Amino acid sequence: MVEPIPNINLALLVPALPLLGFLITGLGYKRFKNNQAGIIASTSIGLSFLVSVFLFFVLRNSGQDAATVTLFNWIAVGNMNIPFAFLIDHLSLTMMLIITGVGSLIHIYSIGYMHGDNRINSFFAQMNLFTFSMLLLVMGANYLVLFIGWEGVGLCSYLLIGFWFKNPSFNYAARKAFIINRIGDLGFILGIILLFFSFNSVSFSEVFAQASTMQIGTPVITAITLLLLVGAVGKSAQIPLFTWLPDAMAGPTPVSALIHAATMVTAGIYMIARSSILYNLAPITLNVIIVIGLSTAILAAIIGLKQNDIKKVLAYSTVSQLGYMFLALGLGAYSTAVFHVTTHAFFKALLFLGAGSIIHAMGGEQDIRKMGGLRKKMPVTYWTFLAGTLAISGIPPFSGFFSKDMILVKAFEHNIIIYILALAGALLTCFYMFRLLYLVFFREQRLAGAHPHESPKVMTIPLIILGILSVFGGFLNIPSLFGGDLSFSNFLQKNVFSKVSEEISHSTEIGLIILSLSLLSLIIWLAYRTFIRKAVVPAADGVSMTPIARLVTNKFYIDEIYTTVFEKPFGSFSNFLFKKVETNILNPIVDGVGEATSVLGMLTRRLQRGNMSFYFFAMVAGILLFIIFILTI
Amino acid sequence: MKDISSAIQLIPLEHYILLCVTLFSIGLMGVLFRRNTIIILMCIELMFNSINLLVAAFSAYHSDPSGQVFVFFVMIVAAAEVAVGLSILVMMKRNVDSVDINLLNRLKW
Amino acid sequence: MILLAILLIPILTGLLLLPFRKAKLVRSIALASSILNLLLTLILAFSPETSAFHVNWINYMGINFSLGYDGISLIMLLLTNLLFPFILLAGFGREQRNVHLLNFLILFAQSALIGVFLAQNAFLFYVFWELALIPVYFILLIWGGDGRKSITFKFFIYTLTGSLFLLFGIIYLYQLTPGMHTTDFAAFNQLNIPTGTQVWLFWILFIAFAIKMPVFPFHTWQPPTYNMASTQGVMILAGVMTKMGIYGALRFLFPIVPSGVLFWQNTVIILSLIGVVYASIIAFRKTNLKMLIAFSSMAHISLMVTAMFVLNTYALQGLLFQVMSHGVTIVALFYLTSLLKEKTGTIELPQMGGLKLQAPNMAVLFLIVVLGSIALPLTAGFVGEFLMIAGIFKQSAWFAAIGGLTMIFGAIYMLFAYQRAMLGDKKLVYSKLTDVHTLDYLILIPLIVIILGLGIYPQPLFNLMGQTIHSAENILKPLVEGALILKTN
Repeated sequence: MVEPIPNINLALLVPALPLLGFLITGLGYKRFKNNQAGIIASTSIGLSFLVSVFLFFVLRNSGQDAATVTLFNWIAVGNMNIPFAFLIDHLSLTMMLIITGVGSLIHIYSIGYMHGDNRINSFFAQMNLFTFSMLLLVMGANYLVLFIGWEGVGLCSYLLIGFWFKNPSFNYAARKAFIINRIGDLGFILGIILLFFSFNSVSFSEVFAQASTMQIGTPVITAITLLLLVGAVGKSAQIPLFTWLPDAMAGPTPVSALIHAATMVTAGIYMIARSSILYNLAPITLNVIIVIGLSTAILAAIIGLKQNDIKKVLAYSTVSQLGYMFLALGLGAYSTAVFHVTTHAFFKALLFLGAGSIIHAMGGEQDIRKMGGLRKKMPVTYWTFLAGTLAISGIPPFSGFFSKDMILVKAFEHNIIIYILALAGALLTCFYMFRLLYLVFFREQRLAGAHPHESPKVMTIPLIILGILSVFGGFLNIPSLFGGDLSFSNFLQKNVFSKVSEEISHSTEIGLIILSLSLLSLIIWLAYRTFIRKAVVPAADGVSMTPIARLVTNKFYIDEIYTTVFEKPFGSFSNFLFKKVETNILNPIVDGVGEATSVLGMLTRRLQRGNMSFYFFAMVAGILLFIIFILTI
Repeated sequence: MKDISSAIQLIPLEHYILLCVTLFSIGLMGVLFRRNTIIILMCIELMFNSINLLVAAFSAYHSDPSGQVFVFFVMIVAAAEVAVGLSILVMMKRNVDSVDINLLNRLKW
Repeated sequence: MILLAILLIPILTGLLLLPFRKAKLVRSIALASSILNLLLTLILAFSPETSAFHVNWINYMGINFSLGYDGISLIMLLLTNLLFPFILLAGFGREQRNVHLLNFLILFAQSALIGVFLAQNAFLFYVFWELALIPVYFILLIWGGDGRKSITFKFFIYTLTGSLFLLFGIIYLYQLTPGMHTTDFAAFNQLNIPTGTQVWLFWILFIAFAIKMPVFPFHTWQPPTYNMASTQGVMILAGVMTKMGIYGALRFLFPIVPSGVLFWQNTVIILSLIGVVYASIIAFRKTNLKMLIAFSSMAHISLMVTAMFVLNTYALQGLLFQVMSHGVTIVALFYLTSLLKEKTGTIELPQMGGLKLQAPNMAVLFLIVVLGSIALPLTAGFVGEFLMIAGIFKQSAWFAAIGGLTMIFGAIYMLFAYQRAMLGDKKLVYSKLTDVHTLDYLILIPLIVIILGLGIYPQPLFNLMGQTIHSAENILKPLVEGALILKTN
């Protein structure tokens, strides 16, 4: 029996506070004025963050790796016993810190961004619910509690993407997000069920304890991991279920930041990292993950090259970065993936909030072709955005460099082709991010009549904090090459079981870094030449393009293909079933029985005309027949 | 009484059967093919009486008086029935001024 | 005695109401009696000792008026008596013709339904089964909407035809009973019917239930009937009467014709899975909100039938749980639909839109109920569906995958409906449109509390129905043993 850790029950406060915030702002939404709801919501998340920090030290001082806090028995039927329990360990603490930390910054930022919106109170209620769901997801001690959060974030993303519900296309985007997520969720829940029948439990500790004795390549584990992967692919927006994420920018910008950085999309990564023991047993699944991750990373990066909506560019960059995280997972480098989740949370939240600040300043304009020259007018936004761009591009010593470089090194260890493709994706990322940066902040302003101004402090302070994190976040996990000790990975190592791979020599690693750095500089220079020197501005919509450019601009027509292949046939099949099968086949059969009865009635009615002679005749004939019948027997 | 029995027995039973079947058939044909309700009623009486005769004959041949008791029952019932039938007939004559049996199809629902 | 009281209170109150003409008085008395009945049911459910009632009825035919209950009956009873107060409450403050008659018929239906769930004798069961049809027929016929005559007629004849088979089956079973014939379930359950006979007897018994539930392809009466029915009518139909079919199937098929069940298991599962997909896909394109919910209800019921026939404890537990949650959810959904109809004058989705602008609270309530119906975790629907899908998975992963499609399809059409009704910009200015009133809160809030409460903390229901677990296992045990015998042979 492990000694219970003192104060560990405080963990309940972490999800409870946002829930409380949700209830207060949600139920009393009519009463709050101005920023009250925002302050309540931000406070609840902020307190939650403080409790998480406290828990971090509690766990560290306790000398234990994990602690379970059980609330009550949720479902107990037959052999099934699923408690509503939370697991506090290094992995979930890391995620809790990211969620509440970045989440509270986004909440604070939202106070400024959403100021004046007449539904600001319900906005904050939903944001709190979102954070609460995500906390449930990462804190759940078994797959089913995780699934509550899993579906919960799906619901909240639905609500928030469609927050401005007057616009039908926003509603469409919201519905799309929810439905695509649900497709993944079906695979996920089936995976959980299979897991339950294989291990007789869905709780992490029991499943992993049993799994650690199993053979690599057990078919049932492969099946389980593949099914769980379906869920992760849906939630983390990977091929083929990624199309919802770019559309998800229909919501207010802080929501995008929350979805892309702190909550929601990282859920898939978290789940796979959490299940690392299972995934280590399924090499086939890992290979599938590599393929999915790599192709998503590259495809999304290519699409990102041609997007002109500032949020769309960032959205595709998220998809692409998630692809890298998947790649890391597929390579068995789970803690590296979680590390990239962390740094990505910093710089992507920063970039989105920066974009929000720009959009705010431009009066709602999101088209980068109409921006330009904002560097002077919005210095804070510029400098923080620059930090974010450098971080996502993987320029040392910014945070993205450490995490991305680690993934590239792992890829190199695994297979040189994977490394080359991953590097190519990274270069593309660098190019479109600098394209974005140059078009937005440099040269002269292209939109006449707009008077951009720096955002209020409530928005810039979160930006600055995130900027600092983006710059220095990488130092959490300095590789031995730079004299570090990989403290972040080691911290996670107790709960996440990365596949051990052979270390490559420092000289090779240095070579790889020099290679990628020189290529990155080349790309930045190329972007500089194109967008600053030549002042190229992407062509307006409708201008004729080369076929390849058109293909990329239209996102490879993937949305259109899905619409034609799934949505439309589904609709017409529905019509077919009702109009043909239901109305013309099933109903007539039933009605036919009734019809037949009345036809039979019409027939027999003819016998009863009241014609007495006929009656007599029938009577006599009947008697005669009867007699004959008797006689013949 | 004994004389009557023996008198009846003078004629072979087959003759009675033959006569009764003939009478019954005549009545039946009348019921089937005539349209005049009076004639139909009379034909029904004819059929009754042919049966009565047969029952009486069998009763005599088997020296079982219960058959003759039945004959009386049948005659009483037939008389009562004719009374009902004739009164329907009178009503029909009064109402539609005809005794054609096929007009009764108006009685159907 | 408490059983007799539960059975008779509604109908006696109903008779008592007949001379009164004051609408409010009539409704209040009816509501009070149904609440009293609910309290009695709760007492029954929580009391440790069981209760029964037995009177010899038609002695020489072995037909007894015997009431009793097990876990399955208890859930059905609880559901019925839980929903009827809400159904009666739904009539308050609304224009209705012949309120006294309507309330009498509703209470009459309640008694008959309670009778169905309590009867321990097949003949008595049959009497109540048919009796329940009569008040519902009149409720539909008198207070229904357009086309009520022909639709009600079809509904009546269809269900009656099914019942005829059931009657035949009961008589057949009756003459099989040894010694002094009887129609007691206890005696039926002891019968050892040859497998060959069970194979056809299964359908004789099942048809009536299949029509009532309804199972594909016996469902054609349902959507038009739901569409035409008045609010209270459809609440009774969808909330409770569909459960009669499930209850009947559990009561008759599994203990009496187990081999027949095993023989037809896959057929019924496939039929109901077709029903799941079929109904969901049709619901997608329905613009009439009531029709849409009718088809969605059919999809859910079909999943429940699938779960019933996979024959394992998880599925059966899930099924019984889902009986409760589906009943509550569908009643709330139909009540909201009628609210929409009252406020906008239409139930055609394309004519609505932007209602959230004018009635934000209604939109929120509607959304929560919709989420309950698409089985989001922490709503009651999730617990039920999860257990059912888990149970189905045990039978076959493919069945589970197809059954699980309800999750996706449900999300597609229910959210589509929600968005078309509530979101978007204002299409028309509804001058009379107001947000939900106190009365609506009185109905919806408790229902939502039940939906969420059972989803967050379902254990009380599982515990409360402690007997259910036993009876479910008792039903399943002989079946599973039978399956093993079949497999080894």
